[in-house]
Amino acid sequence: MKERLKQVLPVLGIVCGAVLLAAAFLLDESIPKELSGALFGVAGVLMGLGATGIFMDAAWRKLSEDERREAERGEKDERNVAIREKAAYSSWYWTLYLLWAAFFVTLFLGSGFPTALVSVLLVLHCVFLMVNMGRWAKRM
Amino acid sequence: MTNRIAQLRKERRISQAELADAVDVTRQTIISLENGRYNASLLLAHKIANYFGMTIEEVFLFEEEEA
Repeated sequence: MKERLKQVLPVLGIVCGAVLLAAAFLLDESIPKELSGALFGVAGVLMGLGATGIFMDAAWRKLSEDERREAERGEKDERNVAIREKAAYSSWYWTLYLLWAAFFVTLFLGSGFPTALVSVLLVLHCVFLMVNMGRWAKRM
Repeated sequence: MTNRIAQLRKERRISQAELADAVDVTRQTIISLENGRYNASLLLAHKIANYFGMTIEEVFLFEEEEA
């Protein structure tokens, strides 16, 4: 069932993306620009995800039994897990620095709405960390 | 923390891939353990020690200053 879903979902993504793309082209003049942009955006995302899914599935099928076992082992290998966790941890800080940089840029440019938006993102970025720390503290 | 994995493996003529298969990790993890770039979890240390028929303390050498 899970395997079947893995095969069907990417194709479904491409079909839905193509339908949305066609709708965006056909309704071009008769719908607001924002909606047209959203249709193009969602269509692009769906088609991109679908194509990636199909490509990944094809690459997986090409692997031998040994290579598949090795790939599956690599997924849960404790060193790889530790690498992913450390990478996610440092990514959190890099995102924080980028948000601070964006905050000061918008502040110096004197733009009100972008400053408020970046401030909200900064707060959410830190709140998500604290929420997740709380969740993990309960589990460990 | 240092370990005797490479020494024990060579004494018993076991390849890194064989040890990796036996303890269910990638060969890269065994390489990193042998080079001292990565410290094994307690579970992995237990599996490796068990594989060699030894205790964790006999395979993994804990140094005082790290404690």
